[in-house]
Amino acid sequence: MPKLQRLLYISAESTNPQSPALSAAIYEPVADAVTQLDPTSSALPYDSVHAAIIDGWRLIQAPDQWAGIADEAAGDVIGYQFILEKMQDYDAQ
Amino acid sequence: MTNTATDTRQLMTDDEMASFVINGYHIVKPELPTGFNQEVYDELKALPSNPGDGIYEAVPKLKQVYESPEMHGALTSMLGPGYQMFPHRHCHRNAPGTPSQQIHQDNLNDLRIRDGQVRAPDKVELVLAMYYPQDVASNMGPTVVLPGTHMLKAMPDRMASQGNFKQQYTATVNAGSVVILHYDIWHAGSANTSDTVRYMLKFLFQRANLPDVPSWQHDSENNANIRQRLESESPMTLQRSLNAKQRHMRLRMWNYLTGSERLDMSYRDKWQGPWR
Repeated sequence: MPKLQRLLYISAESTNPQSPALSAAIYEPVADAVTQLDPTSSALPYDSVHAAIIDGWRLIQAPDQWAGIADEAAGDVIGYQFILEKMQDYDAQ
Repeated sequence: MTNTATDTRQLMTDDEMASFVINGYHIVKPELPTGFNQEVYDELKALPSNPGDGIYEAVPKLKQVYESPEMHGALTSMLGPGYQMFPHRHCHRNAPGTPSQQIHQDNLNDLRIRDGQVRAPDKVELVLAMYYPQDVASNMGPTVVLPGTHMLKAMPDRMASQGNFKQQYTATVNAGSVVILHYDIWHAGSANTSDTVRYMLKFLFQRANLPDVPSWQHDSENNANIRQRLESESPMTLQRSLNAKQRHMRLRMWNYLTGSERLDMSYRDKWQGPWR
């Protein structure tokens, strides 16, 4: 059974991984899997990046503290995005 | 269409207007005859193709919704007397299996919009009025709104990976509800995983005149409470830098709407008093 990469995107209130999660999405390594707004589910999978790490997710990208500063007039993005991964056994697709 | 006569009983209160300024949306439930919403649903279902801007003429019953006293009161409160229905309309048909949209602000590529191609984060110039002729359950592709984001400028491509937001508002509403949104609010139609077609009629209304006095049931006795609400409420948690921007814009929006009856924004010591 191959180990495949699951991705977890969490946008947090600040660059601190213990700050509250504002949004989250999990991307599964499964053909035809769709990640999108899901109004049938009101809770996020984790309350913070820290809580996800405790559950075995590994941080692979932390937010750039300087990203967007020169570009502030261009627009707004909610939260600071952390990307995490978890390698997991998956049956053949 | 231009509207003038107003039933003052249907005008919004100070608290309702403050909530609209803070959240960027307001829900109206026009009094409609029994069976009306089902009749509209059936007429929409029978349309052989999308009539586009002609939906108002294709389904004349919609006038009973958009010209109802409840809608007229809310639109007068937000946009002032003489507001106008915008010529662009859209019937959103969200069929089973329709995927979610990305969170976005509606575009400004319509030169008929008064004052053109600019966002209005501290004004209320244009609103979206979304009428749902059927009950909307959470699996029927309800509109998802990020409260308070009408003060911000979205970059949908950069946010496409974000999924659900913790404090998103999901418009799971009863048939006959109209959700009125500030035009700049971030929103999306979500996935319809049910076996029912969900219709949403989107109409736009725009301001005709600059506000000179409040166009709702305003009482300056409420000013202290309104200022406190505008300065402190958080409909959706954001990073601190955006919170500050949002609160500043709220006060500017309120003072734009109240014209000559603006809030006193002079300095006050918020910290004096009991330790907290």
